[in-house]
Amino acid sequence: MLAILKAENIGMTYESGLIIKKRHSIFQGISLEIEEGHTLGLMGPSGAGKTTLGMILAGLERPSSGCVLYRGEDIWKLKGIDYLAYRRGVQMVFQDPEGSLNPRKSIERSIHEVLRYINIPRREWKDKARQALEMVGLPEELLCRYPGQISGGQSQRAALSRVLLLNPKVIILDEPTSALDISVQAQILVLLKDLQKNLGLAYLLISHQPEVIDFMAHNKAVLESGGIRHEIILPQGGGARPDPL
Amino acid sequence: MSRLGAAPIDDPLLRVEGLSVSFDTAMGRVRAAQDVCLDLLKGETLAIVGETGCGKSVVANSILQLLPGNASVQGRVIFSGRDLLSLSEREMAEIRGREIAIVFQNPSLALNPIIKAEEQIAEPLQIHSHLPRSLSIQMAKDMLRRLRLGVGGVAESYPFQLSGGMNQRVMIAAAMILSPRIIIADEPSKGLDRLLARQVAEELSGLRDKMDASLLLITHDLLLARDISDRISVMYSGEVVETGESQAVFDHPLHPYTKALLDCLPQRGFHPIPGASPSMIDPPGGCKFYPRCRYKHDKCMQRPDMTEKRCPNEGMDREVRCWLY
Amino acid sequence: MSEINPGLDTDAIAMAIHEGEESKCKKDGEGRTALARFIKKTSWAAKASGLGLALFSSFLAMAALSSLLAPYDPWIRFEPYLWPGEEHLLGTNDLGQDILSELIYGSRVSLIVGFGAALMATIIGTTIGLFSGYFKGTVDEILMGLTDIFLMIPQIPLIIVLAAFLRPSFWMVALLMGSLWWTSTARVVRSKALQVSEMGYVRAKRALGFSSLHIMLSDVLPNICHVVMPKFLLSIASAMIAEASISFLGLGDPATKSWGMMINFAFSRGGFINGYWWWYLAPGLCITLFVMSVVLVGHFLEEKEISTLRSE
Repeated sequence: MLAILKAENIGMTYESGLIIKKRHSIFQGISLEIEEGHTLGLMGPSGAGKTTLGMILAGLERPSSGCVLYRGEDIWKLKGIDYLAYRRGVQMVFQDPEGSLNPRKSIERSIHEVLRYINIPRREWKDKARQALEMVGLPEELLCRYPGQISGGQSQRAALSRVLLLNPKVIILDEPTSALDISVQAQILVLLKDLQKNLGLAYLLISHQPEVIDFMAHNKAVLESGGIRHEIILPQGGGARPDPL
Repeated sequence: MSRLGAAPIDDPLLRVEGLSVSFDTAMGRVRAAQDVCLDLLKGETLAIVGETGCGKSVVANSILQLLPGNASVQGRVIFSGRDLLSLSEREMAEIRGREIAIVFQNPSLALNPIIKAEEQIAEPLQIHSHLPRSLSIQMAKDMLRRLRLGVGGVAESYPFQLSGGMNQRVMIAAAMILSPRIIIADEPSKGLDRLLARQVAEELSGLRDKMDASLLLITHDLLLARDISDRISVMYSGEVVETGESQAVFDHPLHPYTKALLDCLPQRGFHPIPGASPSMIDPPGGCKFYPRCRYKHDKCMQRPDMTEKRCPNEGMDREVRCWLY
Repeated sequence: MSEINPGLDTDAIAMAIHEGEESKCKKDGEGRTALARFIKKTSWAAKASGLGLALFSSFLAMAALSSLLAPYDPWIRFEPYLWPGEEHLLGTNDLGQDILSELIYGSRVSLIVGFGAALMATIIGTTIGLFSGYFKGTVDEILMGLTDIFLMIPQIPLIIVLAAFLRPSFWMVALLMGSLWWTSTARVVRSKALQVSEMGYVRAKRALGFSSLHIMLSDVLPNICHVVMPKFLLSIASAMIAEASISFLGLGDPATKSWGMMINFAFSRGGFINGYWWWYLAPGLCITLFVMSVVLVGHFLEEKEISTLRSE
C-alpha cells in the first residue's frame, strides 16, 4: 500500500536557558509510515511525546532533525499549490472536545468560516453546513447552538465536520475520545470507522487505551524511551477480538 | 413515591426516598434527578453508575445539602432516624465530616493550595473532636502512612507540589480521619490513569473494611464499579433504572439501557447506542430511554415504576424500571 | 424598561435574582411607574452603571450638539464680570464671553483630545500586544523591547517640554499623548493574547490552515476586547485630565476653548483670588463628572463581561 505520510528519522529536542543552554531530548530517530486508507495506532506512556509527534506530522511544529514526507515531498520545502495540498490533505483533531471550537461563535459561524476559507460561494453555505453536520450524524438544530450548550461528543463531531470539509487524506487523531463518556466514545469510534471506509481516510490514532487501538488500527507503533517500536496487529481490517471479561 | 418491597433484610444505614432535584437556570428548569430511591446498607459498597449528566453527582451532593442556591430539592434522605434534607445548616455541619464524609472530584481543585497537606487532614479533628493541634497533626500523619503516603515529606508538602494521585489520597485521608460511617466518593478515578485509579479504589475499599463504614461510589467507570462494589445502581437521565448485585447486573443486565451501555464497552466491541441522551430541560414523558430502546412498544410512552424481579440464584433481588418486567 | 440601554434590563434581573431582591421588592411596595419600579428593583451596582451611562451620554450629546445647546456663541463678548443670572446662566468671564457657552463648546475640545489620544494609544497598544502575544519568539522580544524603551520615557514631562517649545495645537497634544500611552495597553493585551493563543480553538484553526492574520482578527481579537475596553475608557479619562493639566499650566492652545483652558484663564485672570467661583467651578465639575462617568461605564462593561463569561 502506498505510504501517504511518512516520518523519516524525526527527532525533537527542546532547548531552555539563555546563556547555559539545557537540552532536553523528547525522542530521536523516529520513523513511521501511514498508508492510504489505513489506521496507524500510536501508543506510549504519558509525556513520551505522542502529541508532539502528531503535531510534527501535521506540520504544526518543526522537528529538530529528520523530515516529514507527504506523497514523497518534504513538507517544509513545499510552496504554493503543493503546500496548500498538504495543508488540506493532513488534518488534526485534538483531545479536548470543547477546545477546538471558539466558544463565542455558534456552530454555524464556525462552519461558515471554513466554507469561506475554501472559497465556497456564500449562497451555498446553508446547504453545505447542513451536509457537513449530516456527515457526522448531527441534527440541523445544532447549527444555532454555541459550543458551551452542546455535549462533549457533539462538539467533537462538530470539530470533525469542519475538518472533513477540507477533504483531507490523513487525519491525525489525538486521544479523540478519552474525555468522552463510554457510549459517546463508541459512537465516535464507529463513525470514524465508517468515514474511513466511505472516504478512504488514513488515520494516525493516538491513544492510551489499548482497546481503542485494537479496535481501530491496522498497525501499531509504541513510543517509549525516546524511540519507537512497531507492531503489526492481526490483519482483519482493524478490529480485535473482544477480551473475555 | 414509595419503593415496592424491601429487598435488603437489615435496616439500611442511609435511605434516599423519592429524591427529586431541579435547577433554575437561564435556559429553563433543569430536572437533574427524578424520584431517586436508594438504600445503603451497613458495611456495603453501593456504586451509582451512569454517564455524564445522568444526575449521579447531584444525588451525592444533595445528601449532604451541598447543592448551589438555585436548586430545589424534594424527597427525604433518612439517616439515623432523621431526614437530612430537613436539617439546618448547623446541624448538617455536625454531620458532614464526622458521620458522612465526601471525597470530591478533581482533588487538585478541592484542596486549598496554600495550606499544607497535614493541616488540611488535621482540620476536621480540630473542629469536630476539638483535639489539640499537635495531636491532630500526629493522627493526620498516621492516616497518611496508612494510605502509603508516609514517606517523602508528603505531609509537609503543599497540594501543588503533589501529583493528582497523591492529592486524591490526601483528600481520602481528610475524609476518613474522623472514621465516618458513610463515605461518599464522587468520581474518585477521574483524571487518573488506569493503574492509579485502581489503586485509589482499592485503598478506599480497604479502609472501608477496616473502619466498618459504608461506601457510596459515584463513577462512570463501569468496570471499576463492578470490581469494588457489592451493589450497583444504574442511572439514566436523572432516574435510577436498575439496581442489583454488581456481578449479576454485569452478567445478566435486565434494563435495555444497562444492556446497551455494557455493549459499548471496549471489551464487548464498542457497539454504540443510537441517538442521544434526552434534554434535561424538557424531558419527554414516559420512559426516558424509550426513543433509543431496542425493545420499545406503545406502553413505554408511560413512565414505568420500579419493579422487583426475583432472582433466586443471585442471592439478592433486582429492581428494574421497565415495562418488560 | 430602561430607556437608556435595554441590555441593562437582563443584567439587573440577573442581579436581582442573585440577591433575592424579589421578595424585598414586594415588601417595599409598588412604584408608580414602570421606571420607578425598575429603579427600586435594581441593585446599587446597576444603578451606578445606569448613572454612569446617563452622564456619559449627556456629555457626548453636549459635545455633538454644542451649537444647539449653547445659548450664545462663546466668542461673542458681552458685558464682562457678570454674576450668574437670567441671561447668562453661568455669568461671563473677564472678556465678557458667556461661560455656559464656553463650557458647552469646550466639551468638544476636551472630549476630542480625550478620545483621540485614547483611541490612538489603544490601537497602537492592541496591535503591538496582539502581534507580540500571538507570534511569540523573536517578534515578541523586539516588540517588548520597544515597549520598554517607551516606558522609560517620562511622559508628562516630555509633553510639557515639547509643548513649551512647540506651542502646539490641541491636536498635537492628543497625538503626543497617544504615542506615549500605548505601553500599558500593549502589556495587558500581550498577556491575554498569549493566553488565548494557547487555546484549543486557535490551535485547531492553525491545523485547518487559516492564515495567522485571519486567526488573530477572527479569534484572538474578539476574546481580548473585554480587556481592551476598560483600558480604553480609562485612557480617555487620563487624557482629559492630562489635557486639563497642560492647559492649566499655560502650555495649551490659547486659541481654543477647552475646560482646562477655562480653568487656566480663571486662574491667571484673577478668578480664584476674587472669588469668581463660576469661572472655575463649572469646568472643574465637568471634568470630574466626565471622568466619573467613564469609570462607571467601564465598570458596567466589566461586570457585563464577567456575567456573560459566567453563564457560558
